[in-house]
Amino acid sequence: MAAPEEFAKFLERYLAEVPGGDEGDREMRRRIKVPFMDTTDDDVRRDAIADEEIDGWLSYVGWNLWEPIANRSTEGESGLIPRQEYETIAFVQQWATYPALFRELTGILGVDGIIALGATSRREVSTQLNPTRNWAAAICPLLGRGIGVSLGLEKPGDRRADVETLVQFARRLQHGTWGGGCGFVSGRGFSQAVLEDDVVGGFLVDETRLDDPEQRQAFLKFNATTELFGFLMSYDCRAALSDSGPYPVPGGGFMLVRDHQLREPAWPWAHLADGLPYSITEALVFRPTEPIDVKINDISTTFTTPRDYLKHLSGVAVYARDTWDTPMSELRRLDADEMAAITDKASAATIDLYKDIAKKDRDQKIRDGVLVYTTTMIMPYARVAGVWDRWVADGFYELHELTEAAWPTLAGGKAAEVLGPVFLLGQGFPPVSDAVPA
Amino acid sequence: MTHRTEIRYTLVGQGQNVVEHDPVEGPCRWLETPDDVIDFISGDGVQETIVISRGGTTTFVAPALTSGVRGLVTLNGGPESHLGIVSREFGIPCVMSVAFTEGITTAVGETIPADGTILRLDTTTTPTASVYVRAD
Repeated sequence: MAAPEEFAKFLERYLAEVPGGDEGDREMRRRIKVPFMDTTDDDVRRDAIADEEIDGWLSYVGWNLWEPIANRSTEGESGLIPRQEYETIAFVQQWATYPALFRELTGILGVDGIIALGATSRREVSTQLNPTRNWAAAICPLLGRGIGVSLGLEKPGDRRADVETLVQFARRLQHGTWGGGCGFVSGRGFSQAVLEDDVVGGFLVDETRLDDPEQRQAFLKFNATTELFGFLMSYDCRAALSDSGPYPVPGGGFMLVRDHQLREPAWPWAHLADGLPYSITEALVFRPTEPIDVKINDISTTFTTPRDYLKHLSGVAVYARDTWDTPMSELRRLDADEMAAITDKASAATIDLYKDIAKKDRDQKIRDGVLVYTTTMIMPYARVAGVWDRWVADGFYELHELTEAAWPTLAGGKAAEVLGPVFLLGQGFPPVSDAVPA
Repeated sequence: MTHRTEIRYTLVGQGQNVVEHDPVEGPCRWLETPDDVIDFISGDGVQETIVISRGGTTTFVAPALTSGVRGLVTLNGGPESHLGIVSREFGIPCVMSVAFTEGITTAVGETIPADGTILRLDTTTTPTASVYVRAD
């Protein structure tokens, strides 16, 4: 993959063979013997799953990960945050620790309780219990497995039971969200219309039209500023953002529902967001004057054709969830004055947080990023189960010995080298059936 | 008697256009380190400037985005990169993965326009946008 023209082939098609989009989903389904990316009431309740089921799922997620990441893989270094380093290290830490924690959660909540966690996104917003977390719950730790194998620290057959746990935990969440069928948005036409009709209808009732150019501009600034601040608070990862939709609206057009998490108290730098709500939710109503194709991927990001979708924004309803445990019934509508105040605070906090991060040494930035990544993909479940504080007290943030073993290589300049094959060539998900018996 | 001078532009690079916008024009500024970014936003002419950065991630140029720069050019990344997504929301024209054909050379060997060079971003089309240097 050294030559640029060879590399380009792998960006254009998965394994230089399978395209992205709906055509890619169809091609992967043609290639996979057991389509375990689809869920049923029965198969999500099984604890034991067969090799060919696991391998079918792993094959699909290799493509599913490549699909949104391929073009992004060229984005290079941050200049502020060593993101590839912290991501790869966090993946390994997740692989080392998440399976046992998922088993504990399942023990507390039961299989139906895990399915219910997945169903939360049908009725609630701004909870972090969303399809992105469903996706990340298994894919991120399994990337850690793939990295461990790539580094020669483990073999594909090691800890098969942990692979089984991760796959089934994620599938149960997905089943709760969708009720069956493909657990991934990539197998659902890249539509993430997960909220139930009455929830969407409630947002529509609250819509404020953006006919006044000044009001419109103020909202667009609010939207952009809170989105950027969410990225920065979560160390340039997408954990703070989530789009769902498109939801058809009466008379034509559609709604997108967007969460921007602003103040997560678990981050040691949360004080820089003091005065901001935990999260805001925007119900964005579009009444386009031209055809517009909307796709939302598995990491809950919207892409449209044509690309400038915001020019079709017709009205909004905006809400705040003040703390992570604010009930959905107590979401607060934001008026123009409060949105303006949040815009100003988030804008100033962006500069403060930027300076705070810039002062830190590289090692601390990596540790911060690992903290964000390892926390955000499991804490929302642990909070519901009531175990989060105990986990932290019991050493959740201590690095596992596997992570310590991987750290020098991944922090020492090899992260990008490792991530390429893992993201682009499917090497992140070696099949369990390739395992050589010990 | 009026005298009309025709402005000449030279194509110096093409890249991936994030969103269709009207063309924008302004002096460019290369930002390489977080200190560069902090100095830049503390200075004059921020909102007239087209910022050039290496990577396609959002956070590095975050203060430049909130300060409302006129345009963004990156040497890496694409519209699906975090910076592509956020620049779209800000409505700031952004051209990514531009390979400049002329300019000065950075410490690691990339070609970029010298600071202060007047750039024009023709972002009217997707997927490709063009970057021109204005010859005064």
